[in-house]
Amino acid sequence: MKLLNKLTLYTTLSKTAIVLLFIFLLPLLVKDVAFQYTNSSLQEKKKKVISTINKNGIDYYFQGDSSYGSYTMLKEEYISLEPAGNDYTRDTIETSRRIVENDTLIYRVLIHEFQYRNKKYILEIGKTIAEINQYNRPLQRVALYALIGLIVFTLLIDLVFTRVLLRPLGIIINTKLINRKFPYNENIPPIKTSTTDFKYLDDSLIDLMGKIHDAFDKEREFTSNASHELMTPISILQNKMENLMVDHDLSEELQERITGMMNTLNRLKKIVRSLLFISRIGNDQFVKSDQVNIKILVEEAMKELEDRLESKNIRFKLNISKEQTLQHLNRDLIFQLIYNLINNAIRYNKDEGEISITDHFNPGKSYTLFIEDTGIGIPEKELDAIFDRFKKASQIEGEGYGLGLSIVKSIAQYHGIMIEVKSEYGKGSIFGIIFPMELLK
Amino acid sequence: MKVLIIEDERSMALEMAVFLKKGFYLCDLAYTAKQARQLMGENSYNFILLDLGLPDQDGLEVLKDAKKICPDASYIILTARGDLEDRIKGLDLGADDYLPKPFSLLELLSRMHAISRRKSGLNDSRICLGDFTIDLVKRLVFFEEKEIDLSRKEFDILSYMLLHKNRPLTRLQLGDHIWGNYSDDDYDSNYIDVHIKNIRKKLAVHASVDWLQTIRGIGYKIKI
Repeated sequence: MKLLNKLTLYTTLSKTAIVLLFIFLLPLLVKDVAFQYTNSSLQEKKKKVISTINKNGIDYYFQGDSSYGSYTMLKEEYISLEPAGNDYTRDTIETSRRIVENDTLIYRVLIHEFQYRNKKYILEIGKTIAEINQYNRPLQRVALYALIGLIVFTLLIDLVFTRVLLRPLGIIINTKLINRKFPYNENIPPIKTSTTDFKYLDDSLIDLMGKIHDAFDKEREFTSNASHELMTPISILQNKMENLMVDHDLSEELQERITGMMNTLNRLKKIVRSLLFISRIGNDQFVKSDQVNIKILVEEAMKELEDRLESKNIRFKLNISKEQTLQHLNRDLIFQLIYNLINNAIRYNKDEGEISITDHFNPGKSYTLFIEDTGIGIPEKELDAIFDRFKKASQIEGEGYGLGLSIVKSIAQYHGIMIEVKSEYGKGSIFGIIFPMELLK
Repeated sequence: MKVLIIEDERSMALEMAVFLKKGFYLCDLAYTAKQARQLMGENSYNFILLDLGLPDQDGLEVLKDAKKICPDASYIILTARGDLEDRIKGLDLGADDYLPKPFSLLELLSRMHAISRRKSGLNDSRICLGDFTIDLVKRLVFFEEKEIDLSRKEFDILSYMLLHKNRPLTRLQLGDHIWGNYSDDDYDSNYIDVHIKNIRKKLAVHASVDWLQTIRGIGYKIKI
């Protein structure tokens, strides 16, 4: 999962959790606050009632009855007065049932014992629970809406901010990692960011890629120079041997030995030539401006190779459904790539074997050419190494894969083509040449 | 035929000269651009073989001037640089052919013959080979005016061997000639046997092909 998505998910989840917790706690909280408030307001009212009683005299309320109960004095709360018994009653505030003016309701009741002219009385002030709670619901709702509003607002800000914050990372990944092609030739400017971590990451990447590029450059330069320097002595040796061969005084035995020397020299020559070729591809010495009809190219390569097919009695099936034209490439190089792969398919095939060339079009993505053979196959552990220079497949006598596949790899890399290999040891291999969209016309 | 070899690598120039002399060419050697200019001023040449990597001047510059001094000569560029651009520039400047080093002397001679044929017209391109006649320009093989159908590569091999008749040619030399840059390794040379077998089969229907000899351990030879 991408960091941005993770952060988004995390922020959203944590805020949702807060909202849920709040929804759960809010009624309790509001209720508690309302009770606290009622308690203190009842205390206030108590003082007021006591002073009123003192002013008016207690008989004003009793008027001969043994008790008094009414809403008249406080309007919102009822009060009740009655003489106290002998027991001392502590001041309490409780929630309990009362019958006032023939209504049985639940009240929050303050009970207070006081003395008036040496007689003890009990005062009760009560407020209905319904009245206390009447604003709870709307209050809760408003509080909830406000909270949700705030959460959504902060969530949006968080998301936008993380996005902005992480943008440099995205740029680093896109420009420096995903779309870069080895050997990192092009210069990509450092990103602009005030986040030091990203800056450090970016600088390190630029530095590393620069080093890789330099190392690669040096290797390429060395290969090129060394191969070039080797060409002249090889040339001289070859010509000397050729001159020896046409010497009439030479016995057949000596001619045979010279032939052996020439074969060895030829191997050296081919290796040096291939290395030079690979380093030239790496040096951008080939212009990529040709258009190629892939079917025609395959047929041409087959024509070059048909004598080999015949001599091994290999069946060849060409089944390219689309007359696909490719662009922005070098025709000679692509020909060489296809030629080398088909040549290998013949070379490592069995007598009476089969080669089939098919294609697959993946709309909007790529075009793939498959070269399938019924040859000896490649053991799985060697699959990774077949494109490496001078790696030799263990079961092949003689020269192994040589540089043919290294050339294929260089050409593919040069054009941004992917090569995919599937192989079953003893049964055959499939090489897929995946041309990216940019190369399709 | 006079040939000027402009090549700074002395032993290489000498080997070329030795080889060409056997084909009855007269060779002059120049190791620097300066020597080459002097020789071109004094003599006229049929062929000028020019190495691009000269110590005192860029070969392409030499070619430009040489075309003015010896306009009738045929030019073959020899180079180890092998840049595609050099090749195109060289041919643009009027070179007749281009051989990347290392090259086979047999290939060099074959290119020179091809240039001669191209320049001299079509008349003397028919050559007798045993009871057969070979037309090198139209690329046909006849037996008593009856055309024999050879594949492109079979014809290439036959004509190459004919050009270097009486010399043993290795499978490698033949392979180099017909596959050129595409030949991957010496594994290719096994296919030469297949082609030779086919040539023999197609020709032997009409007449003896004793002149096409196998030399054990080496390769093949046309002996006339």
